[in-house]
Amino acid sequence: MATASASNWLHVDIGDESPQVLSTLSSCLTLSDVQCDGYVRLLAVDISLEEDDEISAKLKVFRGLKLKQEQSLPGIPTAIESLYVDESEPKTPVIAVAIAESVLFYRHFKPYFKFTIPALDAEELELELWRKLPVMKPETHQELLQLLKDVDHAKLSRKTQRLLQLPEQERASFISTHKDSPVGRIGNIVAMCCLRRVSSNVNPPSHLVLAVDTGRVFVLEPQGFNLIYQAKTCSYEAAVPSLISVHGTYETDFCIVIGTRNGGVYLLRKSSSEGQEIIKLSTPLTGLILLPVDQTIVITSMEPRYLCYSKRGKLLYQVQLDAAPVCILPLTLTHLGITLVAVAMQGGRVSFFLQRHVVDEFMMSQTVAAMLYGRMGMEDHVLTLITQTGEINFKILRRVTHFEPDNKVLALTSKGSTKSHPIVDSSILDKSKKSSIFVEQAAREKHQAKSSYGSFQVELWRLRHTAARATLDAINSSESTISGDLTHAPVKLSAEVCGSGPAFRLYLTVQNLSTFKMASNLVVLLHADRRHYTIQQSVARLPSVLPGIPLRVDFEVVAVLDAVDKLPPASLTPDNSQIRVMLLKTGQTKPLIAAVVAMPQSEAAF
Amino acid sequence: MGMLHNLSDLIKVKRDKMTILVLGLNNSGKSTIINHFKKSNEQSAIMVPTVGFLIEQFYTMGVSIKAIDMSGATRYRNLWEHQFKNCQGIIYVIDSSDRMRFVVVKDELDLVLQHPDLCNRIVPILFYGNKSDLDDSLSNVKIAAALGLENIKEKPWHICSSNAVSGEGLDEGVQWLVQQIRFAIMSNRKGGKLKSSQKNKY
Repeated sequence: MATASASNWLHVDIGDESPQVLSTLSSCLTLSDVQCDGYVRLLAVDISLEEDDEISAKLKVFRGLKLKQEQSLPGIPTAIESLYVDESEPKTPVIAVAIAESVLFYRHFKPYFKFTIPALDAEELELELWRKLPVMKPETHQELLQLLKDVDHAKLSRKTQRLLQLPEQERASFISTHKDSPVGRIGNIVAMCCLRRVSSNVNPPSHLVLAVDTGRVFVLEPQGFNLIYQAKTCSYEAAVPSLISVHGTYETDFCIVIGTRNGGVYLLRKSSSEGQEIIKLSTPLTGLILLPVDQTIVITSMEPRYLCYSKRGKLLYQVQLDAAPVCILPLTLTHLGITLVAVAMQGGRVSFFLQRHVVDEFMMSQTVAAMLYGRMGMEDHVLTLITQTGEINFKILRRVTHFEPDNKVLALTSKGSTKSHPIVDSSILDKSKKSSIFVEQAAREKHQAKSSYGSFQVELWRLRHTAARATLDAINSSESTISGDLTHAPVKLSAEVCGSGPAFRLYLTVQNLSTFKMASNLVVLLHADRRHYTIQQSVARLPSVLPGIPLRVDFEVVAVLDAVDKLPPASLTPDNSQIRVMLLKTGQTKPLIAAVVAMPQSEAAF
Repeated sequence: MGMLHNLSDLIKVKRDKMTILVLGLNNSGKSTIINHFKKSNEQSAIMVPTVGFLIEQFYTMGVSIKAIDMSGATRYRNLWEHQFKNCQGIIYVIDSSDRMRFVVVKDELDLVLQHPDLCNRIVPILFYGNKSDLDDSLSNVKIAAALGLENIKEKPWHICSSNAVSGEGLDEGVQWLVQQIRFAIMSNRKGGKLKSSQKNKY
């Protein structure tokens, strides 16, 4: 595997140049031909989180390995995208930067437009409160604010949230300064990605898909800055999106897959305005991709697992990972006709999956925090990896590559997985399709649970009763000492009991009455009440019984005596002190002979 | 003097023809270099990315050179190896300002050198560290170190920095290459003679 990785990726040696340090996320990296000169540059947001100075973010442009430009941003962005707005030549990319509730657009690296998502209507109670607050005396404010106790904190506007945090003496001045500003709840953009308008040649004009933490999803058209599509992640409020992935084109059809913070995955289609829950995982998601090739959804979770679902939520396969996955990236290799999924894991391992198989992997010195793949500079297949400490690494895909699951490794992993991870091989149970009968039955059971349980119990007892009766009939019908079945050799069974108790010896004599037939495959079965007699060996397989020669077998039967007074239990009466002896022929349900041996009264043991 | 030199050259090797393969990644300046050697009335003003390959003829240093200008685009690089058999020299053009792709340059060079059609032949290789006028461009020494050229033992090689737009440094390189090809031809002839004489012995 190590040799394979060495041959598939070329590591770009940064050399003696001072290493650039970048702290960023995968969503804050993009590739763009910002200067329109055909040389694709790397754009990255460097978020400085150092404690002594204020948190700030800078948009940096790298030409090849060198930092060429940087620009301060007015906030911490959640995502950046490079997109083309129209078809006009020369095609100029626009950089969209999502910061809090707005998207900033940069053209030629100059600020160009700011779009803010619409606010949601505030709660009636809150509006009422803000009408009252400026006119009421400051002493009554506390009481008024108490009214908001029942409202979910997340559903309040930012203004009110801030007010609630303030100490009482500062509230009056805050209210007087903010009394006229609108009361409205604005969400933060948590994820953003591009959606092509039509499928056409390279660099088609695109729209922006914005996911907001209020659970809403917008499609923004970046020419007139209109929202042309609005939807909710799901019918209830609690779903806060964290990851999105889009496939399709806006004009024809598209679908948006949304991963939420609590492990749910929702699917939005062009035709619907409300998401449909397809999967609910118990562990948080770290990555989500809607693969363009086979329309499957690939997820990495904290379990740590790599899972693949169909759009209907059917689990197609899952792979147990060795370490927690940090980020995930699709690599579409058009020249090979395959799409790989790169998974960067804690510890620095980066694995490449082709469907469920790991086809390549390499180790980085540190955990990779962000990845980006695409055309950079003059090279088509550049993988940019940024480690958690901010080191930038570039890997270039070799022209001569092979991404095939190694058979030897494959066999090994599958072998190993059965031992260590039974989950990997646990195939998905083949559940029957939901037919109309099944659905009807399920509905009926839901409605009339009590009566259906009752009727089930009745039927169960009836079945048991029938079975017991059939058994008794079978035993009683053959109750004799000579077998009556004409197809086999007639067999005679006789018994005698020796001993005075509590240990007895039961001698059975089996005699073949036929003159020429052999009685073979015979089994003797003893049956007694467990409370009265203990039989060490209750079954004996008999050798073939030849005509005329009797076969004698013996069994040890011990009568059960009370440990204290050394007397047989009270339930033992002369009527039921019996042992049932059955002579069976293998492969036949009905016994040949069923006889009852009356046992003598047992002596007390000393 | 130059005339005399040319004349003597002409006398030495009558109507010498050489086939040279021009390799290098896309956008490194292969076509521009060849364009420079062409007669001024045949030169084209606008360079477009080569598709597949082009065969150009030009006359320099008293030799007529057939240059096979290969495309450097990733999807055409597999065509390079088909020309290895019938070439006498290789020009390998490197964009000295594109540091990021040095690793690709090295990888492709290693593939060329390891190819069975070339590895047992003495084929002189000329490296052009092109685009030397750019700010980011690296010196010859650094390029040679980055590509590990010192490991090429069995083939004569030479590196010179060039600027294909102005023509700086191009002539020096071709001069070296022509000389090397001549040496190679001469040693081959000698070797051939030696071989034939040995054959006669046995």
